[in-house]
Amino acid sequence: MAVCISIIGKDNAPLYLTTTDLDKELELQYRVHAALDVVEEKCQPVSKGTPDSKELYLGLLYSTETHKIYGFVTNTKIKFVIVVDSGNIALRENEVRAMFRNLHMLYTDAVCNPFYAPGEPLTSV
Amino acid sequence: MNAKPIITYSGAGPLFRSLEAQILNAIPLDTCEWRRTFHRPSKQVRLEVQTQPFNVNVLEKYKKGEWSILEHPILHIFVTECNDLDTYKASAHEEIKNWLKQLTSYGISDWMILLVETLDVRKAKNLLPRTTVLDKIRQDFATKNDDRCISVLNPAKFEQKSAESFRCLVQRIRFLILASYNRNIAKYEELIRSRREKRNHDGWDFRQYFFMQEDLALIFEKLELHTEALIQYDELDAMFSQFITNTGFGEKQRWLEYFRQPLSSFHGICLSRRDKFEIRNKIKEGPVSILEFRNYLFERQAHLLQQNNETPEIARRLLNFLFSTLREIELVKLDTPEGALSCWEFVCAVEVLQTCEQAMEPNGMICFQHCAPIWNLAKDKLYELGKLCGLLPGFTPSSEQLHIVVQLSAGIGDTPLEQSQFLNPTPQISEQKRDRSPNRRPKKPATDQLKEALGSNEAFQKLYLELAELAISTYKHVTRLRSARLVGLDLGNFYCALNEPHKAVGFFTDLLRELKAENWHALSSQTLLELANCYRKMGDSLAYTKTCSSISCCQELEMLVRSFYFDEFLKSVKTLTTSLSAQPSLENANYCVLEDHFRICDIIVLNEEPIIQDDIIMVQLKLESMYPREVVAESIQLSYEIHASPLASEATVPNRAALASSSIDGKLSRIPTSSPLKESRLKMSLRLDYKQDNTLDCASVECDVPKAKQPVRRTSSTKRKLSPSVQSDFTNFVATENVAIPPGYNIIELKSKATRVGTWDFKQMRISISQLEFFSENIPFRASPFVITTKPAAAVLNFKNLIAGIEQPVRLIVSGGSFIFPTDAKITLKCSKNLRIRMSCRSGEENGDNLTYESEGVLHEIVKDKVTTTALEDDSTFASVLQVPLQNFKSFEEREIPLEVLTDLPGRKISKHLEHYVTLTCPWSRNELQIAIDFQPALEAQCRLHTCGTQKFLHVVMKGLEANLYLTEAKVKCDVSGVRLIDLNPPSQARVQIYKGLTVSYLYEIQVEPLKAEVELPAVIKVHFITKYSTVENPQLLRNYGCAFDLVDYTTLFKVQTQLEPNELCRLRSVCNLNLKITKVHENPYVDLMYEVLSDQNLWAVCGRSAGVVSMKDVDCHSISLDVMPLSTGFLPMPNIRLSRYTAGGKNKADTHSKVHPFPQGQVYNSTKSMQIHVIASSNGEQ
Repeated sequence: MAVCISIIGKDNAPLYLTTTDLDKELELQYRVHAALDVVEEKCQPVSKGTPDSKELYLGLLYSTETHKIYGFVTNTKIKFVIVVDSGNIALRENEVRAMFRNLHMLYTDAVCNPFYAPGEPLTSV
Repeated sequence: MNAKPIITYSGAGPLFRSLEAQILNAIPLDTCEWRRTFHRPSKQVRLEVQTQPFNVNVLEKYKKGEWSILEHPILHIFVTECNDLDTYKASAHEEIKNWLKQLTSYGISDWMILLVETLDVRKAKNLLPRTTVLDKIRQDFATKNDDRCISVLNPAKFEQKSAESFRCLVQRIRFLILASYNRNIAKYEELIRSRREKRNHDGWDFRQYFFMQEDLALIFEKLELHTEALIQYDELDAMFSQFITNTGFGEKQRWLEYFRQPLSSFHGICLSRRDKFEIRNKIKEGPVSILEFRNYLFERQAHLLQQNNETPEIARRLLNFLFSTLREIELVKLDTPEGALSCWEFVCAVEVLQTCEQAMEPNGMICFQHCAPIWNLAKDKLYELGKLCGLLPGFTPSSEQLHIVVQLSAGIGDTPLEQSQFLNPTPQISEQKRDRSPNRRPKKPATDQLKEALGSNEAFQKLYLELAELAISTYKHVTRLRSARLVGLDLGNFYCALNEPHKAVGFFTDLLRELKAENWHALSSQTLLELANCYRKMGDSLAYTKTCSSISCCQELEMLVRSFYFDEFLKSVKTLTTSLSAQPSLENANYCVLEDHFRICDIIVLNEEPIIQDDIIMVQLKLESMYPREVVAESIQLSYEIHASPLASEATVPNRAALASSSIDGKLSRIPTSSPLKESRLKMSLRLDYKQDNTLDCASVECDVPKAKQPVRRTSSTKRKLSPSVQSDFTNFVATENVAIPPGYNIIELKSKATRVGTWDFKQMRISISQLEFFSENIPFRASPFVITTKPAAAVLNFKNLIAGIEQPVRLIVSGGSFIFPTDAKITLKCSKNLRIRMSCRSGEENGDNLTYESEGVLHEIVKDKVTTTALEDDSTFASVLQVPLQNFKSFEEREIPLEVLTDLPGRKISKHLEHYVTLTCPWSRNELQIAIDFQPALEAQCRLHTCGTQKFLHVVMKGLEANLYLTEAKVKCDVSGVRLIDLNPPSQARVQIYKGLTVSYLYEIQVEPLKAEVELPAVIKVHFITKYSTVENPQLLRNYGCAFDLVDYTTLFKVQTQLEPNELCRLRSVCNLNLKITKVHENPYVDLMYEVLSDQNLWAVCGRSAGVVSMKDVDCHSISLDVMPLSTGFLPMPNIRLSRYTAGGKNKADTHSKVHPFPQGQVYNSTKSMQIHVIASSNGEQ
């Protein structure tokens, strides 16, 4: 499945980042960071897009030879970035969407914690 | 590849061939509207055709369903030049019939009969034939679709006349071809669909299917329907991918073996091929590698996209194409020579980039957006190859690696362009196109670039650097800064490998700034490590020290690393002293960002509010050190600046401000709640517009409204700096020196003297460690401002309604403010005239015990002593000047000192109140302070003079006003000789109480001694009324009250008597006699007197004279008789007599007129003044 999952705050600081492979953590972090460029590009208020029907799922941000990087942005400008191994041909876009949906729910749960101050790094329990 | 639509001909072949050239040339000359089926948009199409003789064999395939739309004849023409009905019937009819029968048997309905008229029938015979051959043909074969039969004048014979009919023919051919395509494409699509359904059947071959569908695509392309052609290719692409993917799941396709060819060569794509179908033929002929097939497919797609002016789309598709192809190769389990695929990717990437560059419009952002990652990819691939072939800096290729280079270079292949160039020495169209811009050097083909780069280390480096720079600049151009920085990281590393760390530093710093701005700590600490490495190599000890310091504070790093760099930091910082002085040009180079090393947790002002000027400010600082071990700071300073108060306008709209503040982090938002207040001000500026003649047209104030914020905003480039840029004003600061700061939280006290008054905000912190200065960017929280003040000292007199005549309490309130009092300070109170003051005795007794201050007690004891030693009943303790000692008076102390004031009662009646002043001389001021005090009198005295005949009485009225008093010992005194005042008051009334609203009267008779010749009594005499009074509370303490009255007319001069006769009976309207008697009572100088009868004219009528003058010279008494008549009945008042002094006129020149001065009341006593006369109605007159 995903090799890296990250939650990035509205000020673009990482709130949570986990990777399956610790050796590749740095490289993946760089990838996720660079992906913010595309997130910004996609979030720019383009006149074409109707602002009402706002799609949180941003789709494939970019792909490298080894990885595919997908993005998702919540209404509060929290960005989720999932890096997927591009060798995984069985993975369909719908599954990525579902991953984001789950992640969004988990994040919402985490934020609902009254002891959590928004903007603080998140920790996985 | 020839894909022109095919037209067959039969019948008169030679005739058609004579026309053929003309027709073939004419058809592409004009477009024809293609009305398409299924609501597809109609399109103007330019056709090209080729002809061939009618051949049944071709149709055989069509019938079997193995036909290709590309090879299928699209229109069949039967040509005849039969002009004669008879010959038609004899031969031509039969021929056409057979031909048509053949066609119908193959299910073809795309035919046309062409009748070439060589003879001008109408001209040859002058009469019109009943039916022409054409009519007959139509009648026979085309009753329904007579447009399929057309006649044309043979253009070879009738050059002028044929033009019209020939044009008709060409138009008809075009139309019929397109109509045929409609039908055939639909049919072909059906065929494709059915073929596709069978894809899982055994023996199904993808290649066959591929060509079948590609034929359709080619037709579409021919018909200029690029999009639809592209759809065909995309479908094929997707289908192929799906097949390969399925193989990954174990599905085996036998046809796939054709593509599973070893990758001996790995040519990249070439988008400028001369023969675009070179590979197609290869695929057709024999097995090709999957790479070649993919290349071909992409080339076709790219070509169509180019045709459709969608070059950026090529770039967009490229990465996906490359990656998916790589995956496919992996899935198919093809063995690839090491580096082959990198070569292939590189060549493809560069090829696409070059194509894009040619097609790029200067502001075509989309193209750049897609190109940026391709540049990056090319760079990465080159790096991989360099690594493989030992071309990286610091390496030299081994013989093995050289072998690889040779193998790869062979596999890359040459540019097909060059091949064609070699084959056709004709001018290169594509080459010219490339040269569009004169300045642009024609780019080397991708393969050549790669081969050259693989050839030597230098060429490799050059190309790598070039690609990296291009990648960075392209990323920057499309504002993907993070990606650009990431490429920069690679480039920096490369420079490091090249042993050029100074070049790498810039890239690392950029990256670090980017990462720090967005708090990517793990990454930024990595970058710091790289930087430290660079600086060490460069020998920049200052930068190295700073970086080491930063690294040792990176909490993401392992402790081992941090400790190591901490040691490095300590070591390096010692050597700095010399190097810093050696480089004076580097100003502020030793500044570091405090936040990277310390965290300011809290700042508390320990002093109690407010801080008085010159006091010591104590600030408690909670600081978290992130160093792994203890550091010693030479000084810690915290500057503070004057507090900028928020604008009033913002205070009025807090809601809007709060709304807007939600989005952005504290520092840059313009909102007062979380940001420094200065930034929340709107920028206002003056704007003056001038007319042409330089006179002012309009003056206005402009305001830049901040733009609406973007949802995701880039803050990094502007916000965070790697070295603090702003050093705030450090003229005011709290500080401490030589502090050891262990890791973790520290509580540090900072001090300074509060020198300047004001409200202050903490601004910036500076920590000096050895040569390094750590400056904070901002205070991370909003420390509340503190106040340094000087409170003014003040003295106030506090009193309520004061009453004159008795002692009154007044409190002197001294508030010290920030004035520092000497121990023997005192306040001097000076009173205005008649006002005296003393320390209070009573309040002293009351309050003295309760006072907490020892000094206060001492003070009051002094006061008490004074009071007790001098008699309490005595007013002598009151003085007009009083010095109040302020012993041990402290700043900000407030002290109340009870005082008593006493003022004399006023001797005369006053209108409102007594005004007095107390003038204060205070130790803190050189000016005297004048305080007005008003008194209400306690009582007042009035006197009245009463006359009774010749006796005169003095009536003194004491009126109580405010206080409750006792009056005793009332006396009058008159110093005028001959005048005596006799006390008529009862002696028992020794003490009289008087209070508000009560009056007390005293009566005295005035006795005037008979006048002596030489002494004349003064007109006015002064009488002094003296009484003693005391308060009810303290009856022993008697005070004097004196009052002087001026008495006039204290003797009666004349007495007037009137008598009415007849006295007993006075009737209405009957004349009575009024006897007036004037008697001199007291000797006086007035001789001529004038009397006047003054009566109400409604009551009395004076008959005759009502006034007269009498002389009192030498006489004491005068009697005058007058006649009066009552006009009303009842008790009427006696007519009044007014007596006046009379001075006759004409005695001297100045006074020609007589003068009359009435006597004042006291000088004339009218003894019958209030007598009444009973008037009864007259007995006769009225009835």
